[in-house]
Order: sequence, then structure tokens, then C-alpha cells
Amino acid sequence: MKTFLKAASAALLLTAATTTATLADGHAWKPEGPIKMIIAFAAGGSADTSGRLIADEMTTATGWDIIPEQVTGKGGINALLALKDAPADGTTIALVVTESLGYNSAASKEAGVSPADFTGLTTTAGFQMGVVAKADTGWASFDDMITAAKGGKDIRFGVMSPKLADLAYLLGEANGVEFNIISVKGGKAVMNGVTAGDMDVGFMAGVQGKGVAAGDLVNLASGMSTALKQTPDAPKIADLGVAYNADGYYVFVAPAGLPDDARAALSEAIASATGTGKAGGMITKAFGGATNIMGADLDALLQAEYNNAGALMQAAQ
Amino acid sequence: MTVWDHALLGVASIFSGPEAFSVLGISISITLVMIALGFLMGITVGATPGLAGPMAMAIALPILISIFGYSQDAFLPVMGFLIGIMKGATLGGAVPAILFNIPGTPDAYMTTFDGYPMAQKGQAKKALKVAHLSSVSGDTFSDIVLVLCAPFLAVLVESYIDLPEKTGLLILSLAFIAAVIGDSVGKGLISMGLGLMAAMVATGEDFYPRLTFGMPELAQGFPVATAILGVLILGEVFKSIEDMVRSGIRPRDTIKSTVDGDTLTFKDVKRLAPYIARSSLIGTIIGALPGIGSTLAATLGYTYARNRYASVKAQDDPAFGEGAPEGIAATEAANSAVSGANLIPVLSLGIPGNAAAVFLILGMESIGGFNPGPSVFRLPSDGINPELVMAFGLFAAMFLTNGLNWTIGGVLMRAVGVMARVSTEVLLPVVLLLTLTAIYVQETSMAAIWIAVGFGILGYIMRRVGMSPLPFVIAFILGGNLEQTARQAFAATGGDPFFLFTHPIAALFMLMSLAVIVFNLRKSPS
Repeated sequence: MKTFLKAASAALLLTAATTTATLADGHAWKPEGPIKMIIAFAAGGSADTSGRLIADEMTTATGWDIIPEQVTGKGGINALLALKDAPADGTTIALVVTESLGYNSAASKEAGVSPADFTGLTTTAGFQMGVVAKADTGWASFDDMITAAKGGKDIRFGVMSPKLADLAYLLGEANGVEFNIISVKGGKAVMNGVTAGDMDVGFMAGVQGKGVAAGDLVNLASGMSTALKQTPDAPKIADLGVAYNADGYYVFVAPAGLPDDARAALSEAIASATGTGKAGGMITKAFGGATNIMGADLDALLQAEYNNAGALMQAAQ
Repeated sequence: MTVWDHALLGVASIFSGPEAFSVLGISISITLVMIALGFLMGITVGATPGLAGPMAMAIALPILISIFGYSQDAFLPVMGFLIGIMKGATLGGAVPAILFNIPGTPDAYMTTFDGYPMAQKGQAKKALKVAHLSSVSGDTFSDIVLVLCAPFLAVLVESYIDLPEKTGLLILSLAFIAAVIGDSVGKGLISMGLGLMAAMVATGEDFYPRLTFGMPELAQGFPVATAILGVLILGEVFKSIEDMVRSGIRPRDTIKSTVDGDTLTFKDVKRLAPYIARSSLIGTIIGALPGIGSTLAATLGYTYARNRYASVKAQDDPAFGEGAPEGIAATEAANSAVSGANLIPVLSLGIPGNAAAVFLILGMESIGGFNPGPSVFRLPSDGINPELVMAFGLFAAMFLTNGLNWTIGGVLMRAVGVMARVSTEVLLPVVLLLTLTAIYVQETSMAAIWIAVGFGILGYIMRRVGMSPLPFVIAFILGGNLEQTARQAFAATGGDPFFLFTHPIAALFMLMSLAVIVFNLRKSPS
């Protein structure tokens, strides 16, 4: 009996050891040291908050040490430049928008960044890009605004990036009016401008959610190829005569040449963080839920945005 | 949610934040602890000649941010600490002025006129009590005006002021600051111009960073805190070192006062009250104007009180300058009343009026989630405006510090007198080390240290040629804002290049900017 017990406990120990080893193998790739998470958005905004919460969830799930760091400005180009020369070993990643790698990289050739310099990890969420006005303007639809503009009212259109400025210009052109396009830094600044009456209407990528729900703001149109989740009846930008759109995602990238196992491990860790805990809750509230495009699909998406940027620039000239 | 709900939430946020420790089952929030620590540090710093409140705020800010991070939970502990320093330093500045005839802060200079003679007469305790009473009264009055005026002004600004007017207002503030700070309008304008130029580096609408000469370290512009610490603190340290080398190390005057059983009676308080009230009003008005600091408030308060005192004083009362408690009361109430009111332009317009306000704005901007300006006081039709709650949290922190000031301030004042004996050759290296550490903690790059040293040399040269570095700092902070607002105003007016002159209010602001410069140019240099 004693011998049996001894044998049994030895077997048990062995099983336990093997199981632990197998579990450890599941996370084969591990970063060599803390991961620097470059965030291309101003501290305190919703994009920054989502990045920091994702970092927390990732640390809880994997035990990796993640240090968020702000590198803002130039539509994400500064963040990409900071990332480009970092070692491609998974210890440096950046949160930007697809537009940074697309339109912005294409528009600033002298900066010397293109999708080829980076490895896409995963998108976290899509924009809910709406053309938004304050409710007390009395405009219930995009047409109401165009009617007002044709009646002689100067319309100030707030945008937060050059790509959106191009789209706003094309929107006006397609509808026979000319907007006074005001460029500001970040979606929150557009919302503040519209709320304060400095602008009549503006592009907002999700920040308008609360105000629209409360009835202070109105989504006049969707800036995307799809309808807005919150206001499905608002016309899409294509319905308004513009062949381009503001589809876009928040996306994590690493420098080019990241080994496949690191890419897979990082992408998986980020994607699962976008759906869990505080990060998941915040992303659902601000952006209508997580969207995880990764691998070859993401590569194709990034390259396509970069390639298409030229056509939009041409059209808006 | 009404304004009251926001106010209650704001006050509650001071007490309900993350717990630092608990006493008898009552949890004490980290914000409360930070306010108290800031206040202690402020009194100590104020009482140390050669150190001033803004200096301590500057060094503390990067260190605080590295401890608390950028999350919204960090806002009240960090800002509470800074407010504590600001208020404590005003009180502390009077201590060495009275006991040793050395002003702890520049605005306490006038306090030496009557405080030191009183101390020599053996009335040091009474003099300190007068300083305490007037300083805290002035401060509290100013805070009440702030709470009442800032939201009102913000709403007024928002309803009447459009983008061209905002641009005009920023230009007017800069013109005012350049013209009134320092002795020379020309030097003020140069200082401001340099600040605007530094703010231009790497900003703008284009995708490539301008004016960086291709240096990647500058791609995000000069790090704000680094540049400001360089000009304000390293510049001062460099100059003090040179002064020390030139004139040799002189031992500090350490005359000890005889502390007798001198007391402040109710009759005294009654007699001082009108002086305190008048100076509080003067200080508050001065504080609300951008660019005019507490030193001018103190001078005005003192001068006004002296003229009045001369006509009403009894024969055997000491004259001003010979130990009149009224002199201390007038000075201290005026310089302390600046500290609350200088937050009026900060909170309602986002424009800093003096060095202390610069660091409060920097704190707000670094942490995020709070953008000083009219949007702070907006009441949403549904839900809460988190910025308004934060603003009430700040107000609550200010009144809490006043509470500390009223209760333990007097005792602490008597305790920190010893700081006046710290000698410059000990103080300077400590300040230098702390400043460089604070910069490195925030930026973690050697480039930041070199940038700071570069700005330090600039600050040193400015001081050597008699140019105030404050217009530089304020222009550096407002430069980006000015450019953006001007661009937006240009776009909003459909590309009208004369938007500053075709809109009546904007044109008025431009006229006032010109007037303030011309008026100050004609004024004979003091």
C-alpha cells in the first residue's frame, strides 16, 4: 500500500509538472523586458484611455510589464517615427489610427513612413464617424443644413485631420455649397467647438455618442461606408455624392520585421484585452464595441488606405 | 444635474478619493494628505529666502506626475498639492520678513518695513499674528470672489466671444503681460516674442515638424515643463551662482528677536479690519488681471494704506515704517488676495496671469481630462460635466487649504522661522539637483537636460540684461493656443485676413492692446 501511495504521488507530481509546462508553452513568446506602448493621442481623451485600459488588461492576463507613453502630434506621424527605429522584438508597440499609416503617411512623404515600415498587430475598434450638429440649430437632417447654407448662412465645419478636411470640402462641393472648414486637434475639440457655437457642424468619431443620446447633438450623416450604429437612418457619405469615406480604426502596430510568434502573441493579447474588463466596457461605450482585424487582413487594409490616399487628395484639390 | 449637484460631487471628490490611511475607521483620502503636505511645503519654502512658491510648484509637478500618473484620479491630489504650496508660500514669506528683515518671497518686501521694527520692539509674536490674520483673510476673500466670478465670466465669454474675438483677447493678454511686467515695455515685448518663437518649434498644421533643423529630439517641440523650468529656475540659479562668486559668500544676518508676551487683542483686530478689507479688494482686482503679480498688489495696498493711515492715526501711534501693524496688514492682505483671483483668468479663459498660475495650468494640461476655459462651466442638459465637478473639487481644495491656514497656519509660521538661516551656498546646489532630477523624471532623456540647460542660459541672459522671463513663459504657454485660434478664426470667417479688425469686439481688443503698450511706454520708468 505504502509503495502504491508513493507511486501515485510521484505520478501526480509528474502530471502537475507536465501540465504547468504545457500551459507555459501556450504563451511561448514572452517579451524580453517591459513593453513600451506609444500612444499617439493626447492624454485623457477616449483613445488614450482605451490604450491605457488595454495595457492594464494585458498585464492582468499575461503578466507582461507595459509602460504607456505619449508621443503625440502630426496625425500620428510622430508616434510612427518614434516606433520605426525601435527594435522589432515586441518590446515597443504603438496605438495609432489607420489614417496615420494611410492618408497621413502618404501626405507627408518627406517624413519617410509607409505601411511597409510596420507590422500591423490588431485593430481595437472602428470609428463611428458622424457629421454632427448641435440640436438647437433646428437641423434634423443633412438636407436641412444644406438648405440653410443655400439660404446664405455661412456653415463652419469642424474637422480633426487633413483627410477629414478633404472629405468636408468634397461634401460641400457635391451639394453645391462651400463650407468654412476649421481644423482643430482631436475629436473632443470638434465637439467643444460645436457645443460652444464656434462651429456649426463637425466630424466626430464616436465622442458624440453621449450628446446624441441626451438629445444635445444630432448625427446628420454617417461619414463612413456603413450606417452609424446610433443613428442608422442618417444618410451615408456615399449617398451624399462623395466617393470617399472616413472609414477607419484604432490600430496597434509594431516595427517591421517583428517575428511571427511575437506578432501572434501580441495581437492575441491585445485583441482579448479589448473584449474584457474595464477596457472592454470602455470600448463598447465609446466606440460601440471592439473590432479586431489582424494578420493578412490587416496588412491588406493598411496598404489599401495608403494606396487610396492619393486619389482623395487629387479629388479635393 | 444642477450646479449644486456638481458642487456637492466636487466637494465629495476631495474626501472620497483613494484612501491614504484611516484614523479610527475614518478613511483619509490621498487628496487631503496631499493638500496638507503641499501646504506644509509651501510655508517652509515661503519662509526660505531665495525660494518661492512657483519654484517649488515647478519642481514638484514632474515628480508628482511620475508618482500619480496621468489618469483623472491624479488630478485632485496633484492640483491639491500645488494649491497647498501656492497658499502656504504666501503665508510663509512674511516670517523671515518680520523676524530677520529678509523677505522670504519678493512680495513680502513691504512686510519688512513694519514687521521688523515691531520684532525689534519685542512684538514679533504680535507682528506674526497680524500677518497671519491679514494674509488668510485676504486669501479667503479672494477665493470667494473666484468661485462667484469665474463661472459668470466664463459664461459671458462663451456667449459674446467668437473665434476672432478670442484671438484678439489672447493678443490683448500677451500685450498686457509684456507691458506691465518688468520696468521696460521693450524688454517685455522681446521676452514675449522669444516665447512665441519657442512655441512655434515643431507645431503647426503640416505633417513635418517646422523649425527643428531635422533634429528628432525636437519633433514634438520643446518639452513644456523642461523649457519653463530651465528659464525660470536654472536661469535664477545660474544668476545667483554668479552673484555669489562676484560678491563672495556673505553670512546671513541672523538677529534673534525677543519674543515677549505681546498679544493681538480684539481691539487691534477691529482697528486693522478696514486695512485688511481694502487691501484684500486691491489684491483681488490686481490678481484677476493677467500679468500683474502679488508684488505690485502689495505695493499698491501698502501705499494706499500709508496715505490713509497718515490722516487718521493718533499722535502716539507708530508711523508706517516704524512698526505699524497696519502696514503689515495692508501688505499681507494684498499679496495673499492675489492667489485666489489669479485663477479667474485661468479657469474661465485658460490664460495664466502669473508664475504660480503657469504651473497650475501646466498641471491641468499634463494630467488631461480638464481643459481650462469656458467649457469647464458648461451645464449639460443630461448627465454630469466631469470638468465642472473637477473645478468644484479645486475650489474645495482651496477652501480646505484656507481652513488649514486659519487653524494651524499661525503655529507653523512661528516654527518655520529657522528656515531663514539656510545659506545660499547650501540652497543653490539642492535646487539645481532637484530641478534636473524633476526634468529627467518626466522626460527620461538626456536631450531634455540639455534643452533645460539651454533655456537656463537664456533665462540667465534675460536676468542679466534686466528682462523679466515671465512674459517669455506665458507667451510660450499661450503661443500654440494663439496660433490655433487665429487659424480657426481665419477659416471660420471664410478666409478673411482682416478678421481681427472687421469684428468690432476683436478690433476693440486690438486697440486696447495697442493702448496698453503706448500707455506703458509713456509712463516714466520706475
